[in-house]
Amino acid sequence: METVAQTAPAAGRPRPVLDPAAAARRRWARAALIYVLLLAFSLLFVGPFLFAILSSLKDNPAEWPPRLDPPQLNPANWRAAWRLGKAGGGSGLFGQFAPGAVVNFDVTYFVPEGRTPHPPEVTISRRVPGAGIGAVVPDAFAADYAIVSEVVETARKPAEGGVLVTYSFTIRHDGQGPAVDRLPLDLLVPIGQTFHSATLAPNRIERLGRVQSWNNITPGLVPYVFHNYNRVFNENYSRTTGKNLFLAWIRNSLFIAGVKVLTTVIIASMSGYALARLRFPGRNALFIFILFSMMIPGQVTFISNYLVLRDGVFGISRLFGVDTLLNTFTGLIVSGLCGGSAVFIMKQFFETLPRELEESARIDGAGPLMTYSRIVLPLARPALGAVAILTFQGAWNEFFWPLVALTAPQDKLLLTVGLLNLRRAYGAVALDWGPLLAAAIISALPIIIIFLIFQRYFVEGISFSGIKG
Amino acid sequence: MPWRWNRHVQEAVAAYLFLLPFALSLLIFFGYAFVRTVYFSFTDYNLFESPSWVGLQNYLAIIQDNRFLLALRNSIAFSVIVTLAQTALALVLAVVMNNRLRGITVFRTAYYLPSVTSSVVITLMFIWMFQRTGVMNYLITAAIVYRPVILTFLGLTLAAQVLQVLWERWRGRPAGWFEASLLFVSLVLAAAGTGALWVAGVTEPVAGVEPVRIVWLNTRRTIPEGGGWWSIPLPLAAIMMLNTWTTAPTFMLLYLAGLQDIPKELYEAAEVDGANRWQRFRYITVPMLRPVTFLVMTLGLIGTLQMFDQVAVIGSAAPLESVITLAYYIYHNAFPAGAMPRIGMASAAAVVLGLLPLIAVLIQRRVVERK
Repeated sequence: METVAQTAPAAGRPRPVLDPAAAARRRWARAALIYVLLLAFSLLFVGPFLFAILSSLKDNPAEWPPRLDPPQLNPANWRAAWRLGKAGGGSGLFGQFAPGAVVNFDVTYFVPEGRTPHPPEVTISRRVPGAGIGAVVPDAFAADYAIVSEVVETARKPAEGGVLVTYSFTIRHDGQGPAVDRLPLDLLVPIGQTFHSATLAPNRIERLGRVQSWNNITPGLVPYVFHNYNRVFNENYSRTTGKNLFLAWIRNSLFIAGVKVLTTVIIASMSGYALARLRFPGRNALFIFILFSMMIPGQVTFISNYLVLRDGVFGISRLFGVDTLLNTFTGLIVSGLCGGSAVFIMKQFFETLPRELEESARIDGAGPLMTYSRIVLPLARPALGAVAILTFQGAWNEFFWPLVALTAPQDKLLLTVGLLNLRRAYGAVALDWGPLLAAAIISALPIIIIFLIFQRYFVEGISFSGIKG
Repeated sequence: MPWRWNRHVQEAVAAYLFLLPFALSLLIFFGYAFVRTVYFSFTDYNLFESPSWVGLQNYLAIIQDNRFLLALRNSIAFSVIVTLAQTALALVLAVVMNNRLRGITVFRTAYYLPSVTSSVVITLMFIWMFQRTGVMNYLITAAIVYRPVILTFLGLTLAAQVLQVLWERWRGRPAGWFEASLLFVSLVLAAAGTGALWVAGVTEPVAGVEPVRIVWLNTRRTIPEGGGWWSIPLPLAAIMMLNTWTTAPTFMLLYLAGLQDIPKELYEAAEVDGANRWQRFRYITVPMLRPVTFLVMTLGLIGTLQMFDQVAVIGSAAPLESVITLAYYIYHNAFPAGAMPRIGMASAAAVVLGLLPLIAVLIQRRVVERK
């Protein structure tokens, strides 16, 4: 293992010198200690993400005390979810409650001594899935087609201070109606009789332990583990077009970010090259103006920009038959063609390139356009990559300007603004953290994946914009 | 010479063509917008009727608006404190990171994660962590419960380290107070000792601790409590922590690049002269990094003055007065819920917001030049 150059013992030190073995031991120990420190910092920076991802699987991510082992991560429940999904007539991955379904369910209670065990009262409730944006009432409820068998006691086992009693029952589909997505279940027992275990762990235990409640006892693996993720996609539909909102937002954000990367890479490289290499009157003034524009917050200029878009960029858009560019992708793209910082990065990069290549091209008679496209641009790949990545990240995460320029209709929003709407929809009364955390994590994933793949460019981009500034 | 002149004209024309799209968008969406903001700040514009000149009325109005003063106070406090905190954290991270160890890039990747994620996502996670039954309060509760154990561990580490260093010195070997190899042994010894004391029942977690239920966001509490104008609202302080956490890694990268540019010879020479670790850091690293520090502070000030997303996402989860920033104040006046837009006042506040980074950079330049 290599260690720090700085710790190498310097010759001629006036202090007593360690023998080589001791010195090596110290270097090792120092490296180990630095690793410990690095790990501690990693926990600080990555820990919240990992814990949020873990919690996004939970039924209630706001539970106290926060646990690290939600039932959704228990393999026994995965097996049960798979089996029950198949029993309900769906696949193991995605379950449903279809005609012909026969679902056997066991539940075990602890009954303290001196009490008579009581079979649970079984209810298939007509539960409407959560309250997202434009949440739709399902057209079919499992309650209308489910036939519940008699609840029978199947086992009794002595336990400390009482007995464990197991009850079984079967839920069938009457074979007439349609296949239903979910089969919710509520069990009610007398007070004192406490829940011990069941075929599938319940989602909630309420009313002092008397009611055990399942969102869906035929979930299949994916909807069971990723329940909240399912909710994000299934509970948010546009009221006017019926489109799946979350998917639409992801698509919009990808589209806008993609277009912005294209325009920025083209425009920034051209402008950066001109600023770095071509001589023309007003160059310094323009550069200072760019720096100035980078210092001024967007909130200083957005009112005018809002008006410019509202009036179709001085009426130009009317030539194309569009009255206003507010709430359009075109408006968002036109107003964000290229940022000053991208130009800045490209300029810094071009200044580091050796001039000889261009000069020899010039001697060969190539004009500036030729030199730029044939000589300089191919060399600029690392900087272009950095600009592309940073632009994508900026566009994907941008919030303020889209919040001003693109606020309606619901299915045209970008993901960040959409998330704000979700936060309002799920946070109207008390925050419903499950889908909110899930939505946050889904929207962070693309950028994290892109970062992991292209991180070299990220780091280079930051250095280009920094060191020589 | 006509040929050279021709060459220059050709170059200038090419430059203007290359710059045309960018310059045009910069002119419309920044230059024109900036001028118009200044103009609107002297008018009573409301987005619908044509504006008429009102002189300094908007500026007088915002100065008398308590919410504006709060926003200004919050923005400045936020900017100064977060910039200082994140600069310090970034420097520490970079120094730790500036070791040539195997797998160090993995750590760099991990640290950078909060910086690539959008502020909306981060803020959502943050509201979740800082709620009454959130992770933050849980960690505080855990720290209280395990306080005796933690203190025992720290005390034992300290004792073991002091004894070992004295022993080494007595045997004639050089050993600083933070010598890593000894510290490592001390930590292991202290862990074993704490475990033994725990099993023996001497130090135990405190039983019966009430769960901590600090309301971080939906509160009017301040730090220090009841400090009036000079105290920072608790929700704002929480956002400060959040922002330091998200932006420090970016600046760490800048510092890291700066650190790698410092010539190794400087450190070697200092070591020959007998400078210890701290002295080397204080008298070589910090001064050599001054240009980077200037850049980091400038970028930090500019970035923090724009803080808007966090306030918007927190929304009803915290009282507006406790988290409002200038950026949000402007937006709030330009698009007030259920009222006519007050573009004049919003623009006046925008002009103030536009001046702040300029002033900040000027002050900073003064400070740096004086040194």
